[in-house]
Amino acid sequence: MIYSVVGHYSLILGLCAGLILIFFSIQNFKNTNQLDTKILSFSFLQLFFVLISFLSLIISFVISDFSNETVFNNSHTTKPLFYKISGTWGNHEGSLLLWLLVLTLFIFIFLLRTKNQPIKYKILTLGFQQVIIIGFFLFLIQTSNPFNYVFPVPEEGLGLNPILQDPALAIHPPILYLGYVGSSIIFSSALAATTLKMISTSWAVHIKKWVLISWIFLTLGILLGSIWAYYELGWGGFWFWDPVENVSLMPWLALTTLLHCILVLERKEILTSWVIILSIATFTLSMCGTFLVRSGILNSVHTFANDPERGLFILIFLFALIFLSLFIFFFFHQNSKDNSSNFFWLSKETSILVNNWFMMYFLSVVLIGTVYPIFLDVISSQKISVGPPFYHKLIAPFLIPFLFAMAIGPRLKWIRSDFKDKIYLISLLIISISISFFIVKNFNTNILINTILISSALYLFFITLRDFFNKKYKNFAQNTAHFGFSLLILSILFNNLFSSEIITNLKVGETYDNSKTKIVFESINQKKEKNYKSIIANFYISNSEGINNNLSPELRIYNQPNITTSEADIKTTLMKDKFIVINLVQNQDYFNVRYQVKPFMMWIWLSVVMISLGGLVSFLQKRI
Amino acid sequence: MRIFTKSIIIFLLLTINNLNANENSERNEITKNLRCLICQGQSVYDSDSDFANSMKILVDKKLDDGLSKKEIYIYFKEKYGDWILYDPGINKNTYLLWLLPILIFLFGGAIIVKSFILKK
Repeated sequence: MIYSVVGHYSLILGLCAGLILIFFSIQNFKNTNQLDTKILSFSFLQLFFVLISFLSLIISFVISDFSNETVFNNSHTTKPLFYKISGTWGNHEGSLLLWLLVLTLFIFIFLLRTKNQPIKYKILTLGFQQVIIIGFFLFLIQTSNPFNYVFPVPEEGLGLNPILQDPALAIHPPILYLGYVGSSIIFSSALAATTLKMISTSWAVHIKKWVLISWIFLTLGILLGSIWAYYELGWGGFWFWDPVENVSLMPWLALTTLLHCILVLERKEILTSWVIILSIATFTLSMCGTFLVRSGILNSVHTFANDPERGLFILIFLFALIFLSLFIFFFFHQNSKDNSSNFFWLSKETSILVNNWFMMYFLSVVLIGTVYPIFLDVISSQKISVGPPFYHKLIAPFLIPFLFAMAIGPRLKWIRSDFKDKIYLISLLIISISISFFIVKNFNTNILINTILISSALYLFFITLRDFFNKKYKNFAQNTAHFGFSLLILSILFNNLFSSEIITNLKVGETYDNSKTKIVFESINQKKEKNYKSIIANFYISNSEGINNNLSPELRIYNQPNITTSEADIKTTLMKDKFIVINLVQNQDYFNVRYQVKPFMMWIWLSVVMISLGGLVSFLQKRI
Repeated sequence: MRIFTKSIIIFLLLTINNLNANENSERNEITKNLRCLICQGQSVYDSDSDFANSMKILVDKKLDDGLSKKEIYIYFKEKYGDWILYDPGINKNTYLLWLLPILIFLFGGAIIVKSFILKK
């Protein structure tokens, strides 16, 4: 009870701090000898209030204070402490509060860490950021207050969706939010720099760190979501081109493009307008994602409650931000025409342009694929599905030249370049093609595009791999990320081509046997936990290579709410995952058993980690 | 360097030899393209729900009857509407869906080429 009051009033105080900050910013902006210390203290105060509010909500969850509507709707006394805490952001209100916390944290760090930049720029960035923060405060207090009362106080809560009762809930949303919200700093900073006409190489050097931070977190956040979707049944595997997955991929694509543009801008003042547009686009796409997911237009586990009012608020807010940024872009931005934008067609600049070109294409595919069905439904009330086949058809062919460009681009010089060691480049190409031809032919998956796609990925793989041992080649960060990307594409392709599965109905004591694999259904155990009962089936699996495993998939019957979930048991090894799931067959003592062997799963995760590691190396590097 | 590259290639070939190609692939290809109507964003292939299991049996039966992939899709489309197919296909509803990204790609290419021509 008391915590709800504390939480609610700290939110209001945080909003007031935001308004005061805007006032001080305007005052300080006129008189800019130094940064007003009041600005720093009020930013800290705002962060402090949001933190208090957030902690109050966590405490309300921990003590199961059901007078709080959010706690009542999403918690239960029998839930383990771990899920009481992580359940704080496993709902709409709490996750928005977390979003707000990260927003205020980032702008505070920005103010502290930004040195050697004009005071005006810092103040203006703060101002734009406060516009966003205040917008979110209003949204939270107006439409999704986490501290609403329920009266009379219920005895028991409604419980957390069992699918969300998973360790990944503790870490996936916060990491993803760090990425999303990091893009808000880039947005505010780009607007401030445009207004002050200081989009320049020194600005690029400064903002690059922020781009990298958000990029690393966004990459890891998507990875965590993907791993979760992989082992959680019912989410269509590690990547299903589901709209909710797409909305996280779109800002990532924009951010990756921006990262590459910043690399050019770091050296030469070209592509300035493009960098501004991308900065705006990245944050807008993050917001768009929130809108699509939270308004209930897209149905998914992220849609906690369908409330049109919330959707409308975000939509209006989004349009206001887009309008503001377009206004600033068109009125303040001057394209530096005189600047020497001349570079030879074969140069690093061109390769980055090509990167941008393809990335924008991929972005448009994902964007159109995600929103087109919604528009079609509204306009002609025809329901269509746009699923994996659409994306594969439009993306895979374009990935081929993209991968070649990724291999060759970084080896080119700025301004003007020519091909060195041609023989080496061509011989690797021939090796790549012959290996992939062998792979595809051997397994008669006679699809031309697979051969070419694997060749191009292998090509990138070999070139980047060799560059690790090449002393002349210094760009370790780039090489790591590109190597990771080639590994990612290869792992996904091989995983896709060589997965195998066995589906059968078995009862306890029975054995399934084909020439390669033997599955023995040994026994069944029952277990009772605090918040669910579980049926554990024990399987003994041996294959022709003489490798034996014991796997124990589980059926869980949760008490609050009453839902049965199926938990896969996965044996992960370096080269392949063994994945087994059971389901009840109605009114029989048989279980439906599904056993899958998925090669290279581990490598998919490792390669994404490697990609973000590349970002981390670049972040830690001093500029040469 | 050469030895290193070669050893990598040999390693790859060895691992690949241990893999098994997918068996009943046509059925899988079809069920991967069908939406499990009672699930939340999952294909019939991935799902183990009763609905999906009966759909799998139905697809098997249709394949045994000698229907082609296309005919099976048409069968399901007539029964459940376009919604059930994950591959939207090209028809009057989806021209824009397929063409717009391609047009954007061409447009982007045109901008890049133009910027080089203008410089000269």
